[in-house]
Amino acid sequence: MRALLFLLVSAISLLLTACGTSTHVDEYRVSESRLPVKASEKIVIMGRRHAGEYETEPDFIDCIGNKLVTGGQVAVMPEQQFLDSLYPWFEPRTAPLGLKRMGGMMRDPLIATRIRKLGIRYMIWVDGNTETTEKNGGFSCGLAPGGGGCFGFASWDKNSNYEAIIWDLSKLDEKGRVKVDSKGSSYLLAIGAPIPFIAQVQGEACEGIGTRLQSFFSSASQSRE
Amino acid sequence: MMPMNKNPATRLVSSLLLLTIVLLSGCSTNVTVNGDYPSALARKQPLHVGLVMDDQFSHYQFESTDDKQLPVTMALGESQVKLFSRVFADMFISTTTYNSPPAKNPALDLLIVPVVEEVQLATPFETKLNVYEVWIKYSLKVLDGNGQPIADWLMSSYGKTQSRFLKSDEEALNQATISALRDAGARLVLEFHRVPEVKRWLASRQADTQLSRSDIP
Repeated sequence: MRALLFLLVSAISLLLTACGTSTHVDEYRVSESRLPVKASEKIVIMGRRHAGEYETEPDFIDCIGNKLVTGGQVAVMPEQQFLDSLYPWFEPRTAPLGLKRMGGMMRDPLIATRIRKLGIRYMIWVDGNTETTEKNGGFSCGLAPGGGGCFGFASWDKNSNYEAIIWDLSKLDEKGRVKVDSKGSSYLLAIGAPIPFIAQVQGEACEGIGTRLQSFFSSASQSRE
Repeated sequence: MMPMNKNPATRLVSSLLLLTIVLLSGCSTNVTVNGDYPSALARKQPLHVGLVMDDQFSHYQFESTDDKQLPVTMALGESQVKLFSRVFADMFISTTTYNSPPAKNPALDLLIVPVVEEVQLATPFETKLNVYEVWIKYSLKVLDGNGQPIADWLMSSYGKTQSRFLKSDEEALNQATISALRDAGARLVLEFHRVPEVKRWLASRQADTQLSRSDIP
């Protein structure tokens, strides 16, 4: 009995260490100095959704936004609020893919005035997604008059790949890029009750990209210090 | 009152039939599309427009006919009326909506009659992803105030469920359809005046206006 318990504890410990996530973040800055954000200015973070096969998840965009806001440095406008305020210019089919097109749009007083009125200084475009790359194993559950239970083992790998590009709308130029690559394996062990060991791959990617983006900006109060 | 003299076999068949109906209805997806559409950021054309949305358009319901798919019923009439009314109000200085084409009305510059030509649906089973994809093809008949046809514009729109955890199939399909309707609104705002026949009509109207202005002594 002791041996079985020892085996089980060892297996769980092994799985817990194995379901960790590895995250790699790269960045490119046009200038070493931080990007100034006045108290009246905001940042908007937008997901790319023009490709047919994938789209950047709205909850991932929300997660980065929350990360920047909790950093306490800058004000972030929710993506949907921006999309609705500028409908239909930033819909999946109509959003500018490059600065040249964005420049063309900003020459239209209708769009430029609305963006200025909203106080948007920086636009961060995030492109990428999280996908399940490999699935193995399986488990089954059963129910009988005396009770029920599950038995089996399943594992799956997830990969998050995102790139964030910062545009300065007042100067219509690019200020930097952050790229994150996060991988992790999750497991589900079922001996009676299913015990999941989930790797927070997308959460780690959000943490990585959000923390790095925070370091790009300095609020008006920080600039004074 | 009918006597309850069913034999056990009949009862069993009835119960199985009832169970099958319950299970089948549990497998089908029924959605009444319900979305809010933002006001469009557009320069209003100086035109008085009549928008004809007949009963077929305002009560439009899509039902999947593909035997390989689970049955899907999607009522999008009310939602598309909401979208078209909003977008046209933002595109032109005045828009009047009608249930049926009005008699000749010289006060109107344009009369626009949208018709749903086709709706296509890709279900999660087909896409192998947890998303619905919706294509809507509209035909917009454009007439002048005298009822003379100007253009028949075929406009297609596309939308899909955004990749996030949704509680139900209905919610995922609703989101995909709202996305397709938003896309339709975007196309109306950005492409209507670029339709060659409409563009020509707008140019000739502008030329007429300039000519009549130059006639004033």
